[in-house]
Amino acid sequence: MVAVSVNNLHKQFGRTQVLKGVDLHVPDGAFAVLVGPSGCGKSTLLRLLSGLETATSGEIRFGDRPVTSLAPRDRDIAMVFQSYALYPHLTVYENLAFGLRLRKEPRSIIDQRVCEVAEMLGLTPLLKRRPKALSGGQRQRVAMGRAIVRRPQVFLFDEPLSNLDAALRAQVRVEIRRRHEAMRTTSVYVTHDQVEAMTLADVMFVLNAGCVEQSGTPAEVYRHPATRFVAGFLGSPSMNFLAAHLEKRSNDTWEVVVDTQNSPPIRIVLEDYPTANLRDGLAIELGVRPHDMTLAPDPEIADLRLTAGLCELLGPEIQVHTQVAEQPFTLCLEAELNTRRGELLAVDIDHLHLFDAATGASLR
Amino acid sequence: MTPSRRVPAARRIRCSRWLVGLTGVACLATVLVPKPATADDEIVLWHAYRGEEAAVLEQLVAEHERETGTEVELLRLPYDAFASKLAAAIPLGEGPDIFIDSHERLGDFRHRGLVAPVGDALGSIKNYPPKVLTAVTGPQGGFWGVPLSLKSVALYVRTDLLDPGEIPSTLEALVALQPTLPEGAYALAYEARGAYAHAAFLGAFGGTMLTPDEQFGFVGPAAERSLEFVQSMIASGAVPGDADGALVTNLFRSGKAATAISGPWLANDLGSEVPYTVVVLPNIAAADGPMRPFLTVEALMLSPTGRTKQHVRALARHLSGQAAAQLRQQRARTISARNDVEPPTNDPVLRAFADQASTAVVMPSARAMRSTWEPANRAIRRVLRGQMSPQVALESARKQFDDVRRPPPPPASPTPWLIALGATLLLGALALVRRARDPDTQAALRASLPAYRYLVHAVFAVSLLVLAPLLVGAATSLFVGRPDTGYFVGLANFYDILTARGGPLLATGSFYIVVLVTLLWTLLNLVLHLAIGVGLGLVLSRPAMRLRGLYRVLLILPWAVPSYVTALAWRGMFHRQFGAVTGLIHQLNAWFGTTLEPIDWFARFSTAFTANVATNVWLGFPFMMVVTLGALTAVPRDALEAAEVDGASRWQRLRFVTLPMIRPALVPAAMLGAIWTFNMFNVVFLVSGGEPDGTTDILVSEAYRWAFTREAQYGYAAAYAVLIFVLLAGLTRLTERVGKGAQL
Amino acid sequence: MTESNARSSSALESILAHAVILLAVGFALYPILWVVSLALSGTSDPSPQVLPLPQEPTLSNLREVAWTSQTVDGAEVWLFGHQLLNSVVVSLATAMVGIAIATPAAYALARFEFVGKSAGLRTLLATQMFPAVASAIPLYILLDALGLLNSRTGLILCYATTTVPFCIFQLRGAFETIPVDLEEAAMVDGATRFGAFVRVVLPAARPAIAVTGLFAFMHAYNEFILAATLLSREDMFTLPVVLQRFIGEYNAQWELFAAGSLIVSIPVMALFYVVQRHLVAGLTAGGVKG
Repeated sequence: MVAVSVNNLHKQFGRTQVLKGVDLHVPDGAFAVLVGPSGCGKSTLLRLLSGLETATSGEIRFGDRPVTSLAPRDRDIAMVFQSYALYPHLTVYENLAFGLRLRKEPRSIIDQRVCEVAEMLGLTPLLKRRPKALSGGQRQRVAMGRAIVRRPQVFLFDEPLSNLDAALRAQVRVEIRRRHEAMRTTSVYVTHDQVEAMTLADVMFVLNAGCVEQSGTPAEVYRHPATRFVAGFLGSPSMNFLAAHLEKRSNDTWEVVVDTQNSPPIRIVLEDYPTANLRDGLAIELGVRPHDMTLAPDPEIADLRLTAGLCELLGPEIQVHTQVAEQPFTLCLEAELNTRRGELLAVDIDHLHLFDAATGASLR
Repeated sequence: MTPSRRVPAARRIRCSRWLVGLTGVACLATVLVPKPATADDEIVLWHAYRGEEAAVLEQLVAEHERETGTEVELLRLPYDAFASKLAAAIPLGEGPDIFIDSHERLGDFRHRGLVAPVGDALGSIKNYPPKVLTAVTGPQGGFWGVPLSLKSVALYVRTDLLDPGEIPSTLEALVALQPTLPEGAYALAYEARGAYAHAAFLGAFGGTMLTPDEQFGFVGPAAERSLEFVQSMIASGAVPGDADGALVTNLFRSGKAATAISGPWLANDLGSEVPYTVVVLPNIAAADGPMRPFLTVEALMLSPTGRTKQHVRALARHLSGQAAAQLRQQRARTISARNDVEPPTNDPVLRAFADQASTAVVMPSARAMRSTWEPANRAIRRVLRGQMSPQVALESARKQFDDVRRPPPPPASPTPWLIALGATLLLGALALVRRARDPDTQAALRASLPAYRYLVHAVFAVSLLVLAPLLVGAATSLFVGRPDTGYFVGLANFYDILTARGGPLLATGSFYIVVLVTLLWTLLNLVLHLAIGVGLGLVLSRPAMRLRGLYRVLLILPWAVPSYVTALAWRGMFHRQFGAVTGLIHQLNAWFGTTLEPIDWFARFSTAFTANVATNVWLGFPFMMVVTLGALTAVPRDALEAAEVDGASRWQRLRFVTLPMIRPALVPAAMLGAIWTFNMFNVVFLVSGGEPDGTTDILVSEAYRWAFTREAQYGYAAAYAVLIFVLLAGLTRLTERVGKGAQL
Repeated sequence: MTESNARSSSALESILAHAVILLAVGFALYPILWVVSLALSGTSDPSPQVLPLPQEPTLSNLREVAWTSQTVDGAEVWLFGHQLLNSVVVSLATAMVGIAIATPAAYALARFEFVGKSAGLRTLLATQMFPAVASAIPLYILLDALGLLNSRTGLILCYATTTVPFCIFQLRGAFETIPVDLEEAAMVDGATRFGAFVRVVLPAARPAIAVTGLFAFMHAYNEFILAATLLSREDMFTLPVVLQRFIGEYNAQWELFAAGSLIVSIPVMALFYVVQRHLVAGLTAGGVKG
């Protein structure tokens, strides 16, 4: 097991820059998730790690070993494809054994390891079938098994769950995490699904437009998004953004002022916010997660007053769609509150994020 | 078979070669197995004999081997490939020492350097009648073949229909017997539409096919009268107007013709159950003379290497000797060319052929003779179909003959060409060097290296064995004449073709009209192939189709059976008188009381073309069907199901899901199919043969006619081939432009 | 649509499908039945028949064609059988060599971008456009120079190379329908690119390869001009050459030719029967669904 590190990696297809200097480090035994919207370069990065594409410049290392120009087969990796890519002409057993046979492992070892993995994944009764005769979930498990059986230094996953239905997806997600905790093989997992990213990752890399926007544990990234993009990308429902500017009241008090068209501006006093990066009059975007608000005990001094629009009951919580300063705004409240459309709400913001409107960088 | 090859060990080597071939892995390894060396003194003899003639030849050769100890390797070849094989092999020294063919090819063979004077192989000239000797004499004297046997047509008579003692002495009287014959029987059957058989009539009227100064002779009063005479015979209903060789045989054999004009070969088809005899062809009262058929002399010919070998000439003497001639006469019942071998008195058939030989006219062996057949056949057909008066038809035939025999273009200086070629090569090289210096190109080349590794052997094989011969072939279009003595003419061949050799540009048979016919032919075939092939493929791949395997196998049958025979079966079905289509029309008339007339399919362009297209569609649809079946295997079912869920109708699913998905496999197949159809001369040759009047000929059949029936004008044929290529290349470019997605 | 409606319409459809196919089978078989009738007829009385029934049925034509022998080494050798074997072996080898040359090239054309790709494709197509009328003699000279005249190897190479352009086009189309993921999975599993091609792509393209192989086989199997020109030994001849010898200068033994043609087509049918079992859908299924 090795650490994976990538230095200043560039990839160009013709004239198109897909990766523009990516750096990342996945510690030995960690489960890294690359997440980002489609077209951000995460799959390309994974393919560079696998060796299926070659980098235009930059370096990839597995542990101490530079692998940048090695062929996939020399990197000691295993990969689970989005389409599973099971060999249609081989049985499940042969699919699992394929990589081992290529490495000329002795027959007894192949047999033993295939059976072990098949047992682990519940594939034993299916070993003689061809992929054609398997269900979607079974195919996915074979694809996983094909990677596991090889005992590689690094696992690569290319959106392996995107073709499963929701229930199965959650189940397999847990299974992947549990298996990783048992084996501790360094893994790189690509997804556009933030729930997968949050739940699976030891370390998470948010990619946007060919660059890593932020990395860290899911909790860090979620709590302290470094950019407006990361803040908006993670979290469901996604963060509310309001155009605003900063005003300095006195030495230590800063106010966020949200201008509205027809009513007096909304002013929110900053508390517990590091002031190092704040400047008077700076145009900013105020970010508030829907979950970071609670009903104000005293409506008179509440941060926001608003009228509930469409209310959706999602079991433990209610999602309230409304508008603030003529912009759509969502908040999640406890289900017991039984909020109805048209109800007047006064809420306090428990936690807020400020981003420079020009650069999108967090002001924290 | 040489003794060395009879050793079992040698056969084991051959077995091992089989296995190598079967595995197909080390095919090249068989090159390393030495070919059984041909001993220096082994004689190679090629012939196209069949049946008893071949058997007698084998016996005679075996005798000679026993007596002299020389080894002779006999090779029996298909007649269709005989001349072209000689032409390919002899100049390279790979040909036979000695071969057997009709004397009429001598002029052509001499021209191409395939034969040599026979020298002392002939033995004594006293043993041959002067007429026979003239047949093998060259224009500057000298004997170029050793005569073996004589062939001409004579009159076969069914003795159960006509009393042999009362055979009329004139043809008119014979034809007049028609009413006395049983219902449905003809008085006389012969290949009325062929110039070979007609030559006997022409001879009676004093005409010839080729004048001594090598001009077209089938023209003028004698020729016209001979045609008018045949016309009247056919009009009287006593002679079928459209019998080919097989039909003459069948009519005579089944008693539907009381007499037939045919050669010795008919006797082999008759067997012992048909009561017949043979007599000399009767006189034609209108011509006041006997019918005079062509006489051909089958002769042994020596290749330039063979003539130098003493033992080859000895073999020739043995095979042409008196004893050999007697054996041939006895067993193969051929008429000997020698005057010291008399046909047995108790054999009226042989006697009749021998007598006929003495009145027959020796077919000219000049090269020009080979150019008479096509115009003459065409003229006869035009007249017999009633399209033209004999005078007009014959005059146009003479024009065609003169056109084919036009003087070759003057030599052109190759210097400007060489300069242009050199300059192009130089510029090309410079451009290549410049590109190679460009870093972008270098990067691209480096990136291409892995691909080249997969391509190198295909590039090598195709360049060597496909591209190189094609380029050399294309280059011959700039030359005229045979390879060793031909000369450079530049673009004269192309100029001739594109200007219709000075004739009207839009006349039948001119390049431009043939292009139109070819395009129509290709388009119709392509559409029908695709419609039928894809349609059947789709129906056959229905999920719950029962008997699918059986249907598939039955439906590829048209492709599995050799097309040569099936094309002729189609031609037979379209026969005006005895074809199955006519049978169907009779049947319909009988059932519904209609009065549909049998169709003379090959008399009109539209029907003849339809017959060609029907045959080719039949031959070609299995290909498209199989391609479709293969392509359909790649269509995933869920895409279809998704479309069905989306509310797509059956037609929409076909149109928007299935067809686009099989398109990548279908487009190249359709494109290649179209190209092959464009060049499909087989069907045109075998079904309509270009009838009527060459209107159904397509470009490639023109090319083949120039190469093989019009005195081997290879340069001219190659020019046609190049033009075909240019046309096709332009057309595919055009289709790519028009149908955007149709790129390969 | 109610269920019973759906069922009856699909039954109707099935009847319709069978009707269409039977019509096509009739169209395909009718001329062949004439050939069969010709091959089996003892005599032929010309009359406009509609049904191709043999007259005085006899097997003598078949016997006469197939029962040829040659004396080798004092023992009778079944010459026809030998020549049939020649045909089958030459054609099989043609198919194998043709496919062996064409598959890697087709793969490169389907998967790689490289300098000269479109020029190469155009050249391949161009070779098919040029009628062979003028290139027979150059080819003969070339084979003579290579020492491949009068050998099955030479014939096989000629046939195989002439089928290569078609095979390449056909296989390239097939390879393009195979998901790239399969090869990538194999490469990650430890195969080289070529290993992935051989172990994964080729097996997945089996139906297309079978069909293409059949084409190459047929190309060689019915050809006679080249075979007659290149081969100069009776025991090397392929069957089309042998059959063509029934066509003479003045007349032809059509009944024998027909009989021979029928025998010749039997191995093709058998081969197709084997090949068509590979024509099953779903061989490329291995991905998400299918």
